[in-house]
Amino acid sequence: MTAIAIPRTGAAEPAPRWFALRAFGNEAGKGLRLMWRHRAITITSIVMNGLMYLMIQFFIGGGHLVLPVMALTLPALSAYALASTAALQGSGGIAEEVNGGTLEQAHLSPAPPSLLVVGRLAALAVEGLIPAAVLALAFGLGYGPHWVIRPDALVPLLLTVLDALGYGLLMTALTLRVASVGAVVHVFNMAVMFFGGMLIPITLFPHGIEIFARFLPTALGTEVLNTTLAGHGLGAAWSDGTLPWLLVHVVVLAGLGWAAYLYTVRRARREGGLSPR
Amino acid sequence: MTTLAMPGTWPAAARFLTALGNEIGKGLLFAWSEKLQIAMELPFFAVFILLLGPVLGAGRQIAAGHLSWTLNSHRISLLMVAFIPAMFFYFQAVKLFWRLLGEIQAGTIEQVYLSPLPSWLVAAAGRLVAAIIETLILMGIVYGIVRAFVTLHFHWTFAALVPMAFLIITGVGYSLIIGGMTLLWKRIQLLQETMLFLVMIFAVTALPLITVPGWFTGISRVFPVTADVASLYGVMLGHRGVTGPWGTGGLVWVAVTAAAYLAAGLAAFRVLERITKARGTLANY
Repeated sequence: MTAIAIPRTGAAEPAPRWFALRAFGNEAGKGLRLMWRHRAITITSIVMNGLMYLMIQFFIGGGHLVLPVMALTLPALSAYALASTAALQGSGGIAEEVNGGTLEQAHLSPAPPSLLVVGRLAALAVEGLIPAAVLALAFGLGYGPHWVIRPDALVPLLLTVLDALGYGLLMTALTLRVASVGAVVHVFNMAVMFFGGMLIPITLFPHGIEIFARFLPTALGTEVLNTTLAGHGLGAAWSDGTLPWLLVHVVVLAGLGWAAYLYTVRRARREGGLSPR
Repeated sequence: MTTLAMPGTWPAAARFLTALGNEIGKGLLFAWSEKLQIAMELPFFAVFILLLGPVLGAGRQIAAGHLSWTLNSHRISLLMVAFIPAMFFYFQAVKLFWRLLGEIQAGTIEQVYLSPLPSWLVAAAGRLVAAIIETLILMGIVYGIVRAFVTLHFHWTFAALVPMAFLIITGVGYSLIIGGMTLLWKRIQLLQETMLFLVMIFAVTALPLITVPGWFTGISRVFPVTADVASLYGVMLGHRGVTGPWGTGGLVWVAVTAAAYLAAGLAAFRVLERITKARGTLANY
C-alpha cells in the first residue's frame, strides 16, 4: 500500500494581510478598469452635468447667472456629482454583476464580503470624486465665488464624501434585494439635486421641507460646508446644530448602507440571489 | 381530398401581434412588480413641480436670503405644461433603458433575436408601448396630486392630442437611440440621466417664464420635448390652435422634430445593433 501525503490546505496560502490587500486591490481595480473603459461616457456626463447646473442657475436668475447664488450652490453641485455617481454606478455595477453571474464568482472567494465591499467603495469614491473635483475646479476658477478657504473646510468635506458613499452603498444594497431599483435611483438622485442645495440653499426652504431635506444625503454636509466657506468656522456650525447633526447623519447613513449591504449579500448567498433568478 | 392551408398574410400578422402583445404584457408585468417604487416616485414629482414655481426667476431674492413660497396658480399651470410631457418622456426613456439593460445582462435579449420579426420592432416597440401605457397613468396621478394643492387653469381640447402624439413619436425615436447605445455600450446610465435632465430644462424654455437669449432658444429647439411643449402651451394656455405652421411650437417644427428623431432613432438602433452583433456582445461582455 502506498500512502500519498496530501499537502495541507493552509500551507500555500498567502499571509492574511497580503491576501486581504490583494482582494481589496482586485475589487477596486475592477471598478477602476471599468471606469476607464467607459471614460468617454464619464467625460460626457461631467460636461453635461456642468451644463445642466448652468441652465438651472440661469433659470433661477431669471435669464442671467446670479453669482452669490452660485457661491452658495456650487458645493452642492459637487456633492450631487459624487452622490449620484456613487449611487448610479454602484447600483448599475452590481446589477450588471448579478445578471452576468460574476458576482457569484466573486463571492466564491474566501475573502469576506466586508472586504470586497471596501474595494467596491474605493472604486466608487474615485469614480465620484473625479466629476465632483472637476466641476468644483471649473466653476470655482471660472466664476471665482467669494469663499474663505481654510483647513477647517476639510471636516465637512470629508463628512460629505462619507455621507455620499453611504448613500451609494445603500442603493447598491437595495439593488441586490430589488433588482429593478435602477429607475428609482434616478428619482432619489433628483431628490438629492433639488433638496440637497444645488438649486437653492436648503435654509431657504419652508420649515417642513427644510427638516425633510436635512435627512437627505449630502444636504447637511453642504450646509456645513457653506458655513465654513463663508468664513464662519466650525464653531458656528457646531453651535447652530448642523455639524452635530451631520456627524449623526454620516454615522447612521454609512452604518445603514454597510449593514444593508452585508445583510442583502448574506441573504442573497443563502437564497441564491447572487445570480439572476 | 385533402386541403392544405396556404401560409398567407394573416398568420404573419398574427405572429407579429402575438410577439408585440407578449412584449407589452412583459413590460406591464415589470411595471406591476415595480409598484412600490412607483408609489415613491409620484409624490416626489408632484412636490418638485410645486416647489419649482416660486424658485424660478427668484435669484435676487435667494441671494438676499429670503424667498416667498406662495403657490401661484398661473405659474404652476405653466410648469405643468412643461413638466408633464417632459416627465412622460423621462419615465418612458428611463424605464425602457433599465429594462433593456436587465435583459442584456441576463442574456434574454438574445432570445428576442431568435424571433423572425425585425429586432427594432420587438426589442423596442413592445417595450415602448408598455412604457407609454404605464407613464400615461403615472402622469395622470401626478396631475391629480398637484391639482389637489393648486387650481390649474387649462383649456382642455382634443387638439392637445396632436402635440402629445408627436411627443410619443419623438420619444420612440429617442428611446431607440438610447436602446442602441445600451446594446453597444451598456453602462450609459450617467449619460442617460444627464441627457434627460437637459431635456427637462430645455422644455421650460418653451414657456414665457423667463427671458432667454436668442441663441439659447435656438439650441432648445433641437431638444426633443421643447417644440411639443410650446405647441401644448399654445393649445392649453395660449388659446391658439395647433395648426399654425411656424415658430417653435408650429406644426411644421413639431412634425420635423418628431420625424427627425424617429428617423435618427431607427438608423442609430440599426447601426449600433449591427456593431454589437458583429462584436458578439449582445449579452456577453
